Amino acid sequence: MNVRTSFYLAIGLSALAMAAPASASDLVLYDALDFAGPVAKAFQAKTGLTVDVVEPGSTGETLGKIAAEGSNPQFDIVWVDGSAVMERMAADHVLQAIPAAAYDKVAFTDLGKSLIPQSHAFLPTGTSTTAIEVNTKKVPAGKMPKSWADLQSFAGGVAAKDPNLSGPAYQWLAGFFQTNGLDAGKALLAKTLTNKSLSGLSSGGKVNKAVLTGDASVGINQDSAIFSKIAAGEPVVAVYPSEGSVSLPQGLGISAKTQHMDAARKFIDFVTSAEGQAAMQNGDDTDFFYIPIIKGINAKPGRETNITYTHLDDAVASAHETEWKQWYKASFVQ
Amino acid sequence: MTILQHSNAAAFARGVGAGKPPLGRLSTLARHGGPFAVYAVFALLIGLPLALVLVQTVMPGLFAAQDASNSLSLEPLARVFNSPYVAGSVLHSLELGMLVACTTTALGGAFAVLVQRCDIPGRTAISMVPWLVFLTPSYLKALAWVLLMSSGGYLAQFGLLPASLGSAFFGLTGLVFVHTLSLFPLAAFIIGSALAGLGSELEDAARLSGAAPLRIWLRINGPLLAPAIALSFIATFAEVLSDFGLASTIARMSNFGVLTYGIYAAASDYPVDFPAAGAQALVLLSLVLLVVVADRLLRRRADPRLISGRARPARLYDLGKWRWLAMAATLAIAFLALALPLAAIAARALTQTLGHGLVWSNFTAASMVAALSLNTAANDGLLRSLFYAGLTALIASSLALLLSAQLDRAGPVLRSAVIGLSLGSVAIPGIVLGFGYILVWNRLPGFRDWPFPHYGDGSLLVMGYVAAALPYCLVVILSAIGQLAPGLTDAARLHGVGATRRLLAITLPLILLSVVTAFLLTFIRTVFELPISQMLIPRSGPPAPTLILKLFSHDRDGLASAIALVAMAAAGMGAALVWYPLRRFVRPRRSAALVDAGHHQTVGVEPLS
Repeated sequence: MNVRTSFYLAIGLSALAMAAPASASDLVLYDALDFAGPVAKAFQAKTGLTVDVVEPGSTGETLGKIAAEGSNPQFDIVWVDGSAVMERMAADHVLQAIPAAAYDKVAFTDLGKSLIPQSHAFLPTGTSTTAIEVNTKKVPAGKMPKSWADLQSFAGGVAAKDPNLSGPAYQWLAGFFQTNGLDAGKALLAKTLTNKSLSGLSSGGKVNKAVLTGDASVGINQDSAIFSKIAAGEPVVAVYPSEGSVSLPQGLGISAKTQHMDAARKFIDFVTSAEGQAAMQNGDDTDFFYIPIIKGINAKPGRETNITYTHLDDAVASAHETEWKQWYKASFVQ
Repeated sequence: MTILQHSNAAAFARGVGAGKPPLGRLSTLARHGGPFAVYAVFALLIGLPLALVLVQTVMPGLFAAQDASNSLSLEPLARVFNSPYVAGSVLHSLELGMLVACTTTALGGAFAVLVQRCDIPGRTAISMVPWLVFLTPSYLKALAWVLLMSSGGYLAQFGLLPASLGSAFFGLTGLVFVHTLSLFPLAAFIIGSALAGLGSELEDAARLSGAAPLRIWLRINGPLLAPAIALSFIATFAEVLSDFGLASTIARMSNFGVLTYGIYAAASDYPVDFPAAGAQALVLLSLVLLVVVADRLLRRRADPRLISGRARPARLYDLGKWRWLAMAATLAIAFLALALPLAAIAARALTQTLGHGLVWSNFTAASMVAALSLNTAANDGLLRSLFYAGLTALIASSLALLLSAQLDRAGPVLRSAVIGLSLGSVAIPGIVLGFGYILVWNRLPGFRDWPFPHYGDGSLLVMGYVAAALPYCLVVILSAIGQLAPGLTDAARLHGVGATRRLLAITLPLILLSVVTAFLLTFIRTVFELPISQMLIPRSGPPAPTLILKLFSHDRDGLASAIALVAMAAAGMGAALVWYPLRRFVRPRRSAALVDAGHHQTVGVEPLS
C-alpha cells in the first residue's frame, strides 16, 4: 500500500531528524549578558574547548530556568548581573565555592578586590552601577537632577525597574535605603514614584524605552545601559547622584554538579585575561559598557568610570530582601 | 463548540459494527486502544507537566532546592487568594477576556461573511489579510502599538495623536483594541470554515420559499453557525487569558495586571515562587474550564452533519453599490491590523535610534543587512526555527489526524473530554507548560534518563511545541471530520476496506485542506512561539523568538525588528508555497463546481480562501 508506506516513512524520517544526537560540548554556560557569546567564541578559538551558550532571556528568566532545574542543574557555569542571587544559589548548594587559587591569579583593582564575596560564591568579572537616565529633549540643561532627592520634582515621569524582577534594581533599592535612611528613603520614593505604570518595569531595556519614547522624562537605570544608548546616538545622559552609587558586580559562578571543572577553571582564566576582557568589550550593547576591575584594562571610550561608590552592607541587604521587595511591589507595582 | 459533537445512530452503528478483520498495527490500536492512546498522548504531552506545576500549590516543598518534602500545605493558596493584586488580576483577566471574545467574534464573523459571501471588489487579496495578521506574533504587534501610541511615538511625532487618545490607549481600551485586531483571524477562520461547510442548499430552499435574506440569516444560517460562533468565543477567551505578549507590554505599561504576567513575575527569580505560579495557573485554567463546561450545559443538542461530499459552494450576495463601503471597511481593518503595525516595525528596523524619530539622517540599513547575512546568530536562529516549526507542524497535524479518527468513532463523553482538554490547554500559558516540561524531563527519575526526547536537546523543544500546537490542530481537524457524513466511510468499511486505508484514502483526501490548514497554522505559530522556546532552549543554539526577545529586552529593537520582519517574510513564503499549489490541486474552481457539483467535493476548512 503505497500511500500508507509513504505516510509511515514521513513520520519515521521526521523522528530520525529529531533524534540527531546533540554533540557533547566541553562547557555549558547559562547567562544573561550581552558579551557572553563573543567571549565564548574567543575562548573556543584560543583553547579549542567548545562552549554551549544558553541564553533564555533576561536575568530573571535565566534564574527561573536554573531554579526549575533545581537539584539536577544542566549548566557548568552561570554568568549574570547581581551578587545577592549568587549567594542564594550558593547557599542552596546549586553553586560551589570558587577555588581560592582562582582569585589569587587575578590582578584585581581595589574596586575589584572589594567585590570578592567572603563566601566565594562567585568571581566578579566587572561591574556597573545605577544612575539617573535623563532625556535631554525633555529636560533642559539647567533642570538636570543631581541627587535621588531631586527626582521628586519629576514625580509621575520617573521610570524604574521592579526589584522583584531585576537583581540590579534590588541592589539599587538596598543602597538607596542605606544612604537615605529607611524611613526617609521610603517617604522619598513615595513622593517620587507616583506613576505605577512606570515604576514596575521588568528590565533596563524597558526603562530605556520609557525614557526614549518620552513616557518618562527620567529613569533609574543601570549606567551601562545608558552609555550604550549614548553611543548609539540616543538623546540621553547619565547623571550620578551626589549620595554615591552602589556597584553591581557581574558574577561568574560554577555549578555544584559540574563534571568539567578543568574547563571551567580555564574559562575563568580566559575571562580575567587581557584577551578575555577585550572580548567583553567587543560590541555595542549594554553589558559591553561595564567597568573593568582588573589592573591595566580600560573601559570602552565614553564610559564614565570616575564614580563615587558607597559600599553596600550585604548582610543588611539580604536580611531585608523579602520584606523590602514586597514593600516595593505593594507600593509601586500593584 | 457543539459542531464538533455528534450522537446520531449512524455513528453509534459505526462504533459497534463489525467489519473485515482490520489490517495493520494502526487498526489494532484503533479497535483496542483508541481511547487509551488519546488519553496517553494528552497525559504525556500536557497532563503530566501541568500536574507537576499545579501540585505545588498544595505541596510547596516538592521541588525545593534543599530539603524537598511532599508535605501538604494550603498556605500558598491562602497567600495567593488573600492577595488583593491576584484578586484584581483575576477580575482584569476576566473582564478583558469577555470583552475581547465579544468584539473579536463580531469582527471576525463579519469579516468572514463579507469576504466569503459578498461580491466585494478585491476579495481574493483581502482574504489573505487574516493570514498575514495571524503571521505576526502578539508581542510584535504589541511592540508596534507601543511604538505608535507612546507620547514620543511615531503617531505623536507626526502630530496625528491627540494627547488624550494616547493616554486612554494605555488601559483597557487599548488592550481590547489591539487584542481584537490581532485575534480576529481566529474568529474568521472558525466561522469561515463553518460557512464554507454550510453550502447554500438550505439557504436556496429558504429563498425559494420566499424568505428574505435577514430572515434566512437569523433563522437558518445563524442557528447553524451558532456552534462555530460559540467556539470562536471560547477560543478567543482562552487566547486572551493565556496571552503574554500584550500582558507584558501594554497591560504592564497601563498597570493593568493580568494572570499571565503574575505567573511570569512569580517564575522569574531564584528561587522560583512555584506555589504562587501554580496557584495563579490553577485560577486561570479554572476560568477557561468554567466557560467550556457552561457551554456544554447550555447547549446539548446534537449537531448537524452537513458535508456529504455534495455541498455546492454558496452563491455570492450582490451588494450593489454598498460593496464599495464593504470593501472600505475590510481595508480599514487590514490597515489597522496589518499595515500600520508592520509599518511601525519596518520603520524601527530601518532607523538607528527611536528617540530621533523618522528623520532622514536617522535611517540606516545596518539592521536589515545584519538580519539577512548568512552565518550570523540572527540567521542561524531563523533557519533553526523554520526547521523546528516544519517538523512540529508535520508531527502535530499527523497526530491530530490520527487522534481525530479515533475520536470520531468514540463516544460523546470522550469527545467532550478531549475538546474540553484541548480548549483548556489553549489557555495554558506557554511559560507554565515550559516549566512543567523542565520538571518532568529534568527532575523526575526515569524521565530524565531517557535519551530521547532529552532536556537540553532540540527533541524536547519540538515535543513542547507539539504539545502547544496539538489542541489547535485537533480542533481544526475534528471539526472537519465531524462534518463528514458517516455514509462515506461506512460504505468503504462495508466493502472491507481497513481502518488505515479508510483514513488515508477516504477521510484524508476529503479533509486535506483542513489538515493542511492545521499544518500551516502550527508552522506559523511555532516559528514565533516564545515562552516554550525560552524555557526549553536547546544547547545547540536559540530559536528565532528567543533571539528576537533577547534583543528587545537588551534594547536592540532595531535588529530585533529586522529579524522579525525577515522571519515573517520567510514563514509567509513557506506557507504560501505549500498552500497555493495544493489549493489549486485540491479545490475545483467555483464555476467548475457549479457545472457538476455532484462530482467535485469542496469540503473541509477553507479559511477565507
